[in-house]
Amino acid sequence: MKSTLAIITLALLVTPALAQQKVPPAPGPARPLNLPKITEKKLSNGLTVVLAPLANVPKVSAILTFRAATTASDRQAHPGIAQIAASVANEGTDTRTSKQLKEELRSIGGSISLGSDTDATTMSGSSLSEFSTRLFELMSDVAQHPSFPETEVKLAQENTIQQIRAGRADAGFLVNERFQKAVFGDHPYSFVVPDEKSISALTRADLRAFVSKFYIPNTSHLIVVGDIDVDKTFADIEKAFGSWKSGTAPPDENPPVPKRDKRQIYFVNRPGSIQSAIYIGNVSIPRKDKDYFALRTADTIYGSSFYSRLTRNIRESKGYTYSPFSSSNTRLKTGAFLAGAFVRNEVTGPTLLEIFYELDRMRVLPVTDEELNAAKEFSTGNFSVELASQFGLAGRINTIYTYDLDKNFINDFRPKIEALTTADIQKAAARYFDTYHAAIVIVGDWDKVKDQVTPFGDVTIYDAEGNIVTKS
Amino acid sequence: MRRFVATSLAMVLLTTATTTAFAGASGKPLVIPVVYYKLPNGLKVVISEDHNAPVVTVAVYYNVGFRLEPKGRTGFAHLFEHMMFQGSANVKKFEHAKYVEANGGSLNGHTDFDYTNYFQTLPSNRVELGLWLESDRMRSLDISEENLKNQQNVVSEEVRVNVLNQPYQLFEWISLWENSFTNWNNAHNGYGELAEINAATIEDVRSFFKTYYAPNNAVLTVVGDVDVNDVKKMVEKHFAGISTQPAPTRADLTEPPQTKEKRVSQTDKLANLPALATGYHLPPQNSPDFPAMALLVQILQTGESSRWYQRLVKEKELTLDLSGGLNYFGNEFDYTGPMIMTTRATYKPGHTADEVLREMDAVVADIVSQGVTDKELANAKVQYRSNFYSQLEGSQGKAHLLSALALFRDDPQQINSLLTPFENVTAAQIKAAAAKYLVATNRTVIDRVPEKGAKQ
Repeated sequence: MKSTLAIITLALLVTPALAQQKVPPAPGPARPLNLPKITEKKLSNGLTVVLAPLANVPKVSAILTFRAATTASDRQAHPGIAQIAASVANEGTDTRTSKQLKEELRSIGGSISLGSDTDATTMSGSSLSEFSTRLFELMSDVAQHPSFPETEVKLAQENTIQQIRAGRADAGFLVNERFQKAVFGDHPYSFVVPDEKSISALTRADLRAFVSKFYIPNTSHLIVVGDIDVDKTFADIEKAFGSWKSGTAPPDENPPVPKRDKRQIYFVNRPGSIQSAIYIGNVSIPRKDKDYFALRTADTIYGSSFYSRLTRNIRESKGYTYSPFSSSNTRLKTGAFLAGAFVRNEVTGPTLLEIFYELDRMRVLPVTDEELNAAKEFSTGNFSVELASQFGLAGRINTIYTYDLDKNFINDFRPKIEALTTADIQKAAARYFDTYHAAIVIVGDWDKVKDQVTPFGDVTIYDAEGNIVTKS
Repeated sequence: MRRFVATSLAMVLLTTATTTAFAGASGKPLVIPVVYYKLPNGLKVVISEDHNAPVVTVAVYYNVGFRLEPKGRTGFAHLFEHMMFQGSANVKKFEHAKYVEANGGSLNGHTDFDYTNYFQTLPSNRVELGLWLESDRMRSLDISEENLKNQQNVVSEEVRVNVLNQPYQLFEWISLWENSFTNWNNAHNGYGELAEINAATIEDVRSFFKTYYAPNNAVLTVVGDVDVNDVKKMVEKHFAGISTQPAPTRADLTEPPQTKEKRVSQTDKLANLPALATGYHLPPQNSPDFPAMALLVQILQTGESSRWYQRLVKEKELTLDLSGGLNYFGNEFDYTGPMIMTTRATYKPGHTADEVLREMDAVVADIVSQGVTDKELANAKVQYRSNFYSQLEGSQGKAHLLSALALFRDDPQQINSLLTPFENVTAAQIKAAAAKYLVATNRTVIDRVPEKGAKQ
């Protein structure tokens, strides 16, 4: 009897299934978010420590951020010093050679890497959680006692010079470098890589002086996410980092944000290019600006989601390009909105036309309710996915401290996105998709595409090394 | 920058699993629940609950990669992947992306040596949407001339941006495979020659779909904050009515053994610095030598403590970098055909490829004569386990491994015991594997130098 009943039930379930459903299924009830509890503490030396337990795998992920930006005040005297310091800091400490450090890391299933950008130097570390105590010891050693051995400094200088030369063959590298320079002008954010002379001029003494000034606990923050017990981890961190001496950070540079006064083309000539690499953009806003949520949502609709207007137009309708994109790219002091695409030479002019058309359309006309609702779902849904990984959550918490955001940023994210109106989006687009004063940066073969480019503005032509070749 | 619907170019060195339940601070051992069954039409179904976050990944893996694309149609498997986003009976062109994103998700597809996958990660209460979208295109892909032409243009731009307009033109994949292998299926350019991509016809698309995109040639995997029984009912509802197709005849992928070293010299129009790539044929995955070889790859070239990195980049200062691994696109488990271990290094002007090779060989000779230390092997195993966990952190990573194990081994439960053979490798096996496989006669070397001469 029982089995007969089961078969009938199954049959009832199966019968309608064989037909193809014509409309999308409705969502089920929303599932709870269950965000990890985030705890912030300060060590007596001033180091801010933020912990969040997330036991999705038996690992631990950590981000230690120093206020040692490529824009730090030593930039004037020693361009590139933050980058070289970051690349050599984990190549030996007072008590460990580079090789010993890497072998110890392997023995805990770990890694440590450092990098610097226009706002900070960041050390990322991870290991199996059973060895987290040793990960913190190693990260602390690299933060406090990097020894900058002469041989490692010399090797990093040589290799950085060669890597930059290798990069100058790459259209992606060149278009980004010229874009940052075009948009940020004299502002420290225009820095991308140093020149070879500056790299060669750096000494071990310069690097040691730099880190002793900038790698200090009272202006740094350590974010740890993973399979951890919060109390024990805080005690481990106190033990590892407690002896780190606080210091006085040099005052940060804060020059006025540049304002562009005209539309201008910056063309980097790369003879033999079979595509034009195009970046179009302008100065935008810092991450903490009140317009951040409107700008990032305008960006989602314009070009940073797959079903964006730009992708539908120049990829799915016209077939000009593979991966058009846009980015709101907001940072500590300001940002730059950017739209771009890599396209075959023959459609360079038509692509510029469409990028501008879609930008202007968002400035002049409101987006539809459907588009805005889709963008809201896209942002909040993908935010949850981001927070479900250890480095995703750690990275998001890190932005709160690096960009000086409201401590409730994560919890406020959804309500702030959901409150946006189509008028907010249009206002943000009108303001920050500033086509009238845009920088247009193109890396390509000038002889092949010049006739398509010149109708869009005055042109300055550069070579791959960044020298001006001609001005129109 | 994002790359949508891409042949992924990142080298992902993902590794293995574990029988031992290693627990972290939480004391929770990592055991992945797996429910596995087949629908009457042959579709393999894998469901794994994961309640860490309110998200779900819905993935479909088809048992066809670019090795099986037709002759004269290089790049076709990947072009076809793009066609899967061009609409189906109830989903208009590109609306797959619209539905997923407007429901808070993200999506992509990827074409690999032996599989093509499609996946979306969504808020977990939208799991049925993902299933419906995948079932609609498996059942009723809409194929039109106009959309084919459009995607031929898009894929041509993809090849230009990632290959033809790049220094080095991915020689450590495309050229290395062309030269290392003799069987066309293995050797040909999987990204495709532009002329062949653009020669594809609507008939090619229809026939490929019918042959390979059938439920009995696929795995459907659902991982996330869902209830297994609910998902089973939804799978039944959306997939059970899709018709089985005759099993495709599969091309012979066997490769004759290599007996002589191959050396190739190339010039590069765009690059500023010279670079070297090597490929060594690997034993098949079911060989007793395979786990030792996988750990040897780790010891030789994974991370900055690895022997080749230490020798080439640090001690001899010959190369700027060192990258490579056991499977150019993936890991030990997500392929089936013949494979080479690849290595790529940009070397410094003023040096030669022979100098680099000499040092690589000296490192191997040392392992062949002295073996690796116990400590070195133990550390390599720890790193292996750690890398494996990283792969399993998200629903997408878990879905990937589960799908590969279902597709190629018909046994996704193995996810909880994958590491055992790797944990059991001995130093003597590593030494023997180095002596057997890392010999010049088993390798292909490409030296690629700037056409204009390296800048000093």
